[in-house]
Amino acid sequence: MARIEVEKIVKRYSDVEGVGGARSARPALDTVSLDIADGETIAIVGSSGCGKSTLLKIVAGLEQPDEGVVRFDGEDVTAVRPQARGVGMVFQDYALYPSMKGKGNLAYYFQVHGRTEEEARARAQETADRMGIGFEQLLDQSTDTLSGGQQQRVAIARCIVREPRLFLMDEPICNLDAKLRESTRVEIRKLLRKFGISTLYVTHDQQEAVFMGDRIAVMRGGRIEQIGTFDELYYSPANLFVATFIGSPPMTVLPAIASGGLLTVAGAEWPAPVPVPDGPVRIGIRPESWFTGRGDGALMTVSHIERIPTERAAFVHGQVDGVPVVVAAPLNQPDTAELRIMPDMGRVYVFAADGEQCLHTPGPLDLF
Amino acid sequence: MLFPRVGRTHPALRIAWWATVAFLVLGITLHLFPFYFMLITSFKSGNEVLSQTPTWWPHDPTVAGWKLVFDIVEGNSAAGQLMSEPLWVYMWNSVQITFWTLLLGIPITAFAAYANSKLQRGRMARYSFLFFIGTLMMPAALTLIPSYLLTRNWPFALPQAPSVGGTELPTFGIWNTHWAVVLPMVFNAFNYLLFKGFFDTIPDSVIQAARVDGGSEFNIFRRIVLPMSVPVFAVTIWTSFSGAWDQFLWPLVVMQDDAKMPASVMIYQLQEKFIQAGSASDAEAAVQSQQLQEILGAGMSWNGLMVLGILQSIPVFVAFIVCREYLLRGIKLRGLK
Repeated sequence: MARIEVEKIVKRYSDVEGVGGARSARPALDTVSLDIADGETIAIVGSSGCGKSTLLKIVAGLEQPDEGVVRFDGEDVTAVRPQARGVGMVFQDYALYPSMKGKGNLAYYFQVHGRTEEEARARAQETADRMGIGFEQLLDQSTDTLSGGQQQRVAIARCIVREPRLFLMDEPICNLDAKLRESTRVEIRKLLRKFGISTLYVTHDQQEAVFMGDRIAVMRGGRIEQIGTFDELYYSPANLFVATFIGSPPMTVLPAIASGGLLTVAGAEWPAPVPVPDGPVRIGIRPESWFTGRGDGALMTVSHIERIPTERAAFVHGQVDGVPVVVAAPLNQPDTAELRIMPDMGRVYVFAADGEQCLHTPGPLDLF
Repeated sequence: MLFPRVGRTHPALRIAWWATVAFLVLGITLHLFPFYFMLITSFKSGNEVLSQTPTWWPHDPTVAGWKLVFDIVEGNSAAGQLMSEPLWVYMWNSVQITFWTLLLGIPITAFAAYANSKLQRGRMARYSFLFFIGTLMMPAALTLIPSYLLTRNWPFALPQAPSVGGTELPTFGIWNTHWAVVLPMVFNAFNYLLFKGFFDTIPDSVIQAARVDGGSEFNIFRRIVLPMSVPVFAVTIWTSFSGAWDQFLWPLVVMQDDAKMPASVMIYQLQEKFIQAGSASDAEAAVQSQQLQEILGAGMSWNGLMVLGILQSIPVFVAFIVCREYLLRGIKLRGLK
């Protein structure tokens, strides 16, 4: 249990290990700061190579930052070895000790810390009870006979058996198949709730991040673009990158010309949601913010319709003026070659024509 | 697999299959023939060994060769006089040299490779790797004289060098001791390459997980890495073992007393005595010829040497059989032979 502060971390890899093998001028982490409150789960999401795993390793002490400070409960641990930090980490490839059985994996921590055999056994037993049904028999098997999901459970158990101050999870479930991933996700979330231990959860899957994280940090190119709850990221993105990164299917970004309170988009004229200075801008519309079949809409050529019965919705994929557009429609949306679409102007995002600056965001949805 | 399981009944494939088998059998035969000849020669009588047309099996099997070897082992009778010490002394020397070479060499080489593979990073790791591998590129003949100087004056090859100021570097007298044979063999670049190749395949995350769990670097090596690396240890131990047991040139260079020689050198020298007995002084030559006469009279010539050869190669065979299971697993790591 701890409050974790990461302050202005800069990390450069030497040329040999640079991302992609070449000397990279850009640091792997560029002045990254992050606070994790006690018991909070922060999900770090970003595409591969954005530095999210490096950040995790720096918090664990496996990598040394070039600049910046890591504090656990206010205490500077930047120079503390990983052995002494008391964090628990789950790796993408599980990283179980192949020469030991499940039991041995759990007991290793107690052995190297000079604890008694009995304590190790008792704690393993306790953890097995927490991990749920069927876990105990995994402990008696050697790890290479376990399936991916089972290995992952053992890896999580190895991490929690010692009651760490901080959980670090590096894409723990991305190697599992889709079905297992879903159930494991729920299981991990339950465990995190139960323990209330601060957690950093790295993933490249934004749905996973939304599900796991109390807050989500979006990373790109070694920087944290925005940290916030899902609603904040979704409705008030800091910039164009976060706006298009969060949300699936992604937001449509259309070029527009503003003049006198009107936005001209692909031949259609719509009233601007906020006063916008005249000139070119870009507007972002989420799939669910489109109205279909209105006369004053823009013409969309439909390529295909993806129907999702559980969501009682269909996604109409197509193009407006050559820009790919996804529109959420009712499940019974008829198949047509073309569609007139018009955004709900109250829920439109406005961005500068060049750069990523956000001029207007609709803010959270008023649901109640 | 060279041949797929499916479609083996196809005639062309079947012919190719048998051709491959025949080729392999030929190879195995060629490899085994020297051992076969060594074995049967040891049971031949002295005359049969020297007969012009070699025989394929002993026509007149005798254990005379073996008996005489026991004389040499105990150091009595005429044959025993051929070597200055009983054979077991040389065998014991071999055992000592091999033991220390393995005991020091395997851990040091393994630690070096592990440190290079998992602890060093970036440019340093690459340069130290190239440095160690570079020692493989030196021809052994090139290192002979520097090694000679080093063993004369250990650990500073030229102790007089800084004596301009009147000081001399300390020197340990390892010349003409077993240490002069053992120490230069402690680091083995080829084993280093094998270890490094294997340690590189161990995922970093396993090491990192152990670090996060609190294991010290040595504990991680001992508890996590070592049990994973049994095959590669088997391969390196076996190659080091046969290398140390059978080495010839270096002990011959650094050892001055016969009593300290390993068996591999002494057996060769015994053979030399058979081939080129002779001496400048009349009296000595007479003694020698008398001695050889006696030995031949007792029915021993090359058959006795073959027995010694068998004795010399037994430990390597035993080591192979002991490590066989792991060697076969590790053979693909080794990639040769």
